Order: sequence, then structure tokens, then C-alpha cells
Amino acid sequence: MADTIHPIHHPAHQAAARGALEIRGLTKRYRVSGTPFTALQDIGLSVAPGEFVSIVGASGCGKSTLLRLIVGLERQFDGEILLDGRPVAGPGLDRAIVFQEHRLFPWLTAEENVALGLLKSHHPAADKRRLVREHLELVGLGAFAKAYPSQLSGGMSQRVAIARALVARPRILLLDEPFGALDALTRSHLQAELLRIVRAEGITAILVTHDVEEALYLGDRVVVMHPRPGRIAGIIPAGRLPLAEDGGAPGPGFGHDRADPAFIRLREAVLAELGAGHAQPPARRAA
Amino acid sequence: MTNLELSRAAHESALIAGNGRLDFPVETDPKPIGALLRPALRPALCVVEALAFPLALFGLWTLSSRLGWLPVQILPTPEQVAATLADLAGSGDLWFHTSISLLRVVQGFALGGTAGLLLGIAMGLSPRVRRTVEPLFTALAQVPPLGWIPVLMLLVGIDEGLKLLIIAKAALVPVALNTQKGIRNVPDSLREVGAVLAFGRWATLTRIVLPAAVPSVFTGVRYGLTSAWLALVAVELLASSEGLGYLMVWGRQLFQLDMVIAAMLVVGLVGFALDWTLSRVERRLQRWELAGS
Amino acid sequence: MSTPDLAIAPSSRRLPARLFHPRRLQGLAPVLALLAGWEIASRSGLLDPKLLPSLLTVAGRAGRELAEGRLAVDVAASLARDIAGFGIGSLAGIVVGLALGLSRAAGRLIGPSFNAVKQIAIFAWIPLISVWFGVGEEAKIAFIALAAFTPVAVNTWEGACAAPCKLMEVARVLEFGRWRSLRLVILPAALPAIFAGLHLGLINAWLATVGAEYFMTVGPGIGGLMTEGREHFHMDLVLLGVLLLGLIGLALNTLAARLEARALRWRHR
Ligand SMILES: Nc1ncnc2c1ncn2[C@@H]1O[C@H](COP(=O)(O)OP(=O)(O)OP(=O)(O)O)[C@@H](O)[C@H]1O
Ligand SMILES: [Mg+2]
Repeated sequence: MADTIHPIHHPAHQAAARGALEIRGLTKRYRVSGTPFTALQDIGLSVAPGEFVSIVGASGCGKSTLLRLIVGLERQFDGEILLDGRPVAGPGLDRAIVFQEHRLFPWLTAEENVALGLLKSHHPAADKRRLVREHLELVGLGAFAKAYPSQLSGGMSQRVAIARALVARPRILLLDEPFGALDALTRSHLQAELLRIVRAEGITAILVTHDVEEALYLGDRVVVMHPRPGRIAGIIPAGRLPLAEDGGAPGPGFGHDRADPAFIRLREAVLAELGAGHAQPPARRAA
Repeated sequence: MTNLELSRAAHESALIAGNGRLDFPVETDPKPIGALLRPALRPALCVVEALAFPLALFGLWTLSSRLGWLPVQILPTPEQVAATLADLAGSGDLWFHTSISLLRVVQGFALGGTAGLLLGIAMGLSPRVRRTVEPLFTALAQVPPLGWIPVLMLLVGIDEGLKLLIIAKAALVPVALNTQKGIRNVPDSLREVGAVLAFGRWATLTRIVLPAAVPSVFTGVRYGLTSAWLALVAVELLASSEGLGYLMVWGRQLFQLDMVIAAMLVVGLVGFALDWTLSRVERRLQRWELAGS
Repeated sequence: MSTPDLAIAPSSRRLPARLFHPRRLQGLAPVLALLAGWEIASRSGLLDPKLLPSLLTVAGRAGRELAEGRLAVDVAASLARDIAGFGIGSLAGIVVGLALGLSRAAGRLIGPSFNAVKQIAIFAWIPLISVWFGVGEEAKIAFIALAAFTPVAVNTWEGACAAPCKLMEVARVLEFGRWRSLRLVILPAALPAIFAGLHLGLINAWLATVGAEYFMTVGPGIGGLMTEGREHFHMDLVLLGVLLLGLIGLALNTLAARLEARALRWRHR
């Protein structure tokens, strides 16, 4: 895997808009075999431009549903979802999502899959080619540009999906457990790269994860959700936590210092909040 | 339809699932020379194994003809069949009849396949077209291609028109059904990716729907070609004065079973060649599916 | 290769509800239009009524044939042949398919030959079969059986080979013996493919029944009825035959789809 990657020059960089998200009284119901089922109830959340919000919660509490609503795939809901003040009405290139499953197009190679992210943006073809290559390198798959998804492992596919979401420089990036299938090393590398890009470009990021440490390491705030009906149980601010350091100076790609006592206290707080929605605390991936 | 749903599920999971392959090639220990040779020999071994059974059958056939187990009117000797084949080939008759059959099947298949493809795409893309056309299509498709032969004989006579129509009908139904199925079964998960990436109708069609439908379309095309070949033989047996089917009828009437068997061999060979060609094209088009295996 | 979708059988929802759903009526329109066009063309003399007899004529013919009792005999004869041939062919197909799929040696030795022989269009067997078995009932049944055999054997073979690796690994971990893995893993995994093969076999057998009756025109049967109609230029008789072929094909198809759905219910749980 490439160790240092030079900052990517992105044509959309200058145009980087704000990316403020405002959710008010959001309720989403599904019909499950005839009877209504409340997947999300009265969600309220405002995310500042450039903020990094992590969401944790038990399986089935509606995290994916929330992301699908924000990205505009679900049109039926009560309440408001405002993006820079304008209501979300369907998907758009200002938002990108990395789905829980990679959802690569099996008939396209890795680079063609990433290029799809630029299909609807108006850069010159040469720029597009360069961006695709650089983003593949960014996720450490420069050597696999010509591989088909069936030739990639689950984690590699997920990295291609991350590159596809990032390549068009969305204002808001939604990630649904993107690092679940990765080994610890690749994961921390990608976490750092994600933070670096998101901070450098001022992208607003919302990350769903089952890993409380990851949520605190990356997030400025951690939203804890409870199931049945899916709702926000608490929001834990983590922005004040000290950054991890690399030889003295906090780098741009470093999240919060996991060893710091404050971090550990917050971790306990998040776990307690999670456990409150449950008789048993949900299983947690070993960090 | 349940088998439709099964293949849909299988297709979808094949489209979506990552399959847990290793990131990097695994280092292997150096192997003894025998183990290194074995993979090289494997194709040869396969050929030997594949030939063993037909060779045994052939031996039995030869033996039976030598010992006179069965009268030649029931089972001609291998030499007779070979001689007849050589005769037919030498006189140019074999090529004449084969080329006529091939031309018919190609024309009929082109006609029926194109129509089936268009119909399938229309029915797959537009629920309204499907709702409108499906009952009539279903009703007409229920009758096996052969069932139409007497009707068409009375309507269009027994000329080329009849053969073309029957072959076209035989090809149309599977192509249309499978095209339709392929288009309708494009996984929602991929359509959603298209929506998120702001694909318009055109991009959705060309980048998602059509590529995702290719495997199913090809199943239909291959099956359509097989059906077309089948229908050709049937219609030539019934009403023709040229072609491989006619050759068989002729041999049967003369009680020359050697000619019947020779023609059968050619029918099998051509059918095999047609299917093989399509399977090559299919492999080409579906590199992505085979790449991992 | 995935199973081709040939089954034209409608879904198994209840018929009246489907027929009278407003959206269904949309689909009935072209059917009715076709029938109306036919009737008008025939009545008005636009087309020679000899070539295209009116619906009433066809119905009249059906009534007469029915009253004479011939229709029932023909239909029964065709059905009996179809079922006998299908039964023999599919049974043999399952046995051979399982043998090919379960025994590596059989698969490797016989499989390629089988793949080659199945490329011979079934109708090409007719002249040979008619010499070997005559043109009587045995020949027809042998031919129908052959037609049903091929798809059943091919699909069973594929199904038996395709016991998913992951499940076989489970079987190995749980230390199932040969018999148990066969009963608990391979057969259930192969069942959908076997049913798909049986379904195809049923369609093929019906096609072959018609073919056998065309080519070996001895004894009663729908094919014989149509051949007779064609020879005497009785288009109404021919069309009646087409109608019967379609209706019986539909019935067989629907029946197969229902049985398949029922037998494979576990898949939807
Ligand atoms: N299309 C749908 N129709 C009906 N119910 C749905 C649908 N999508 C989701 N649900 C229900 O909504 C609830 C939340 O689902 P969601 O996928 O958002 O959970 P999640 O928090 O992402 O879970 P996980 O951590 O396991 O991914 C679940 O109970 C699910 O059954
Ligand atoms: Mg989820």
C-alpha cells in the first residue's frame, strides 16, 4: 500500500460549497406485511459544514435508513431534511454514499467503477482519468485498476466504493460501515486518509459504524441511536478531544488520541448510552 | 414463477456479493516436478477420458456389425456410414444440403431473434407495454412451434416462407422472455447506485440495465438458437426438398439408415458448432463474471 | 448457464382476481382486438373464409367433433402418450443426471459424450426411431421420452454438481457421511435445478408429442387431427388443433409451476 500520497488537485476544489445539513422532526415508516412500522421517529440533527458526525446504534435501529433518506433514495417521509437550507428532493451529486455492501458494477473494472462517479460531472476527460487514477491510489488499489470486482476481496471492493464516492468531491459524504470488512492496518490507514480528505476539502461527513472507538476517533460528535422505534438517544461531543500525534505534531490525518483518558471516559459514556437502549449492550468489535 | 425467482436471487447475489478472494497471490512452495507436470497434462487427460466412452461405444458398434448381431437395416456398419459420408461430401451434396439448412436457420434466427430482442426490451422497460402485450404473447407462445406448421402450410404454402416463420417463432419466444426477465430483474441495489450518481435515463439504461441484463439475454439467445435449429430439422422433415432434414427423410424412405445416421451426425455437429460459437461470444461479453473463477 | 425462462405459465395467483384486475383488462384488449379482427375479416369476406374460418365455424367444428366423441379420443391419446413418455424420460433423466453429478468418474467419462449427443436436435432422431421402433405407440413414446430425458438429465447433473461449496464445507465440518450429505445437502441443493429440468422436460415432451404425431401418423391424437385438417383443407379443424395444443400446453405449464412452487416452498421462507 502506498505510504504517502500527495494531495490531489481537484478541479471542484475551489467551488467547494458549504454542506450544512439540517434535519427536523424526521419520521420514516415502512409497511411490513400490511402493518406500519416506524423505522425512524422524530429525528432532529443539525450538522455544520465540514463537521464529521459518527452514528452508532444497535443493528436495525435505522442508521442505514437515515443515510438513505439524506442521500435522497427514500422520498416518502415526514419532517424536513434541508441541505444548505434547501429541502432534499432526490439524489444529487452534492451528496455521495458508500453503501453497507460495496455495490460495484460487476461488469466494470475497478477504475471504470470509480469513473462512474464522474460520469455526470463536467471535467475534461484528462482530468477525469487523472482523478480516477489518483483516487484508486488513494485507497491503495493503483495496481488493481483493471481488476473486476469478482477478482477483488470484500475489503478491496469496499475501498473501490469509497474511491467512487469521493471522486466527485461531494459536499456531504455518507458512509455506511465502510471499514467493517478491513484489517486493522488498512482500516487505520483509510481512516486517516478519509479524515485528511474530508478536512482538506471541507466535506461534511456522516459515518455509521458499530465500532465505538472508530466513532470517537473520527467524529466531532457521536450520535447514539436506540432501536424500535429508531431514534436519537443522545449526542456526545468529541470535538474537544486531543488529537493523536505523530512525532509531536498533530497531523491533518489524525483523529482523536485513543489513549487519552478523556477519550476513554467518552467511550464509556457512549457505551453506557448504547446499553441504555438495550437489556444487553450490543456486541462491539474488538478494536 | 419460482425458477425465475431463484435465478434472480442467484444472479443478484452473483452481481452483488464480494466473494472473499485473497488480496494478494499466495506464495506457494516449490513443487516436485511431477506436480508441476500434472496441470500441463490435465487437458490431455480430459480429452482421453472424454473419448473413452465414445470409443468404447464405437468398438461395440463395430463388434456388433462384425459379428452380425443386428441386421444392417436396423444398424448399418460404421464403414457404411463413413462411406456414405465420404460419398455425400465428395459429390458436394453434403455441403449443398448443409448450407441450405444453415442459411435457413440463420435467416429465421436473425428475424425471430431481433424481433424477440426488441419485444423483450420493450416489455422489460415499460410495464405498460408488458401489460398490454403479455397476455397475447403468452397465448400465442403456449402453442409449440410445430403446432403452427399445419396452419402456416395452409396460409403460406410449404415454401421458404413457412420455414422462415416457424424458425423465427421458435427463436422469438425464448429470446423475448429471457430479455424481459433480465431487464426486469436488474437489482435495485445497482439502480440505487445509479440514482445516487445522478444518472439520467440514458445512462441508467446503457450503464446499468443493459449490462445487467446481458447474461439473461444471452441465455435466451442461446436457447433461441437451439430452438431454431430444432424447428428447422422438424420443418425440413415435414416439408422440404432440400436440407439436412430432407436428407434424412430421403435416407429413411430408401431404407438407407447409413444416410440417416450420416445426416444425424451432421445435424449434431452443426448444432454443436452453433452453440459453441455463441458460448464463445458469451464468454467474451461476460469476462467480468468469469474473471474471478 | 442459468435456466432459460421458457415457462410461459402465469404466476400462481388466483385466476379470477387476476383476470378482472383493471390493469389486466389492458392486456385483454389486444387479444379481443385480434379475435374481433379475425371475425370481421372472415365474415366480410376480406379473407377467404376457407383460409380463415370464423370463430363460430371453429366453435361449431369443436362441438361436432366433441359430439362424435372423436375429440375426446384424440386428446386422451395425446395426453396419455405425453405422460407416459415424460414419465419414462424424466425418471431416466434424474437417474442419469444424478449419476453424472455424483460420480466424478461418470461425469468425466460420459459427460462430454452426453453433451455432444444432446446437440442433435431431437427431431433428427425420428427417422432412426421409426426404423427401430416402427411407427406405432412404442416409437412415439420412445421419442417423447427422449425429448423429456435430455433437459431433465442436464439440469439434474448441473444441480447435483452445484451443491454450493459453502454448504458442502458445513457438511464436512459437521462430519456428515456420504449418505447424509447426499440427503441433507446435495439433493436439497439440486432440487430447484431438478424441478427446472422437469419443467423444461414437460414442455419438450409436449412439443415432441405433437411432432411424433405429425411424423408417425398412426392412431388417434391431436397431431393426427391437425394433419387430417391440413390434408383436407379444413382450416377450422387445424385451428381447433392449435387451440387444443395451446390450452393443454398452458395447463401442463401451470400445473408444473404450481407443483414446483409447492415443492420448493422452503426457498421463500
Ligand atoms: N424497505 C424496507 N421495508 C420495510 N422495512 C425496512 C426497509 N428497510 C429497512 N426496514 C426496516 O427498518 C429498520 C431499520 O433498518 P436499517 O437498515 O436502517 O437498520 P441499520 O441500523 O442500518 O441496521 P444494521 O446496523 O444492521 O445495518 C429495520 O427494522 C428494517 O427491518
Ligand atoms: Mg445498516
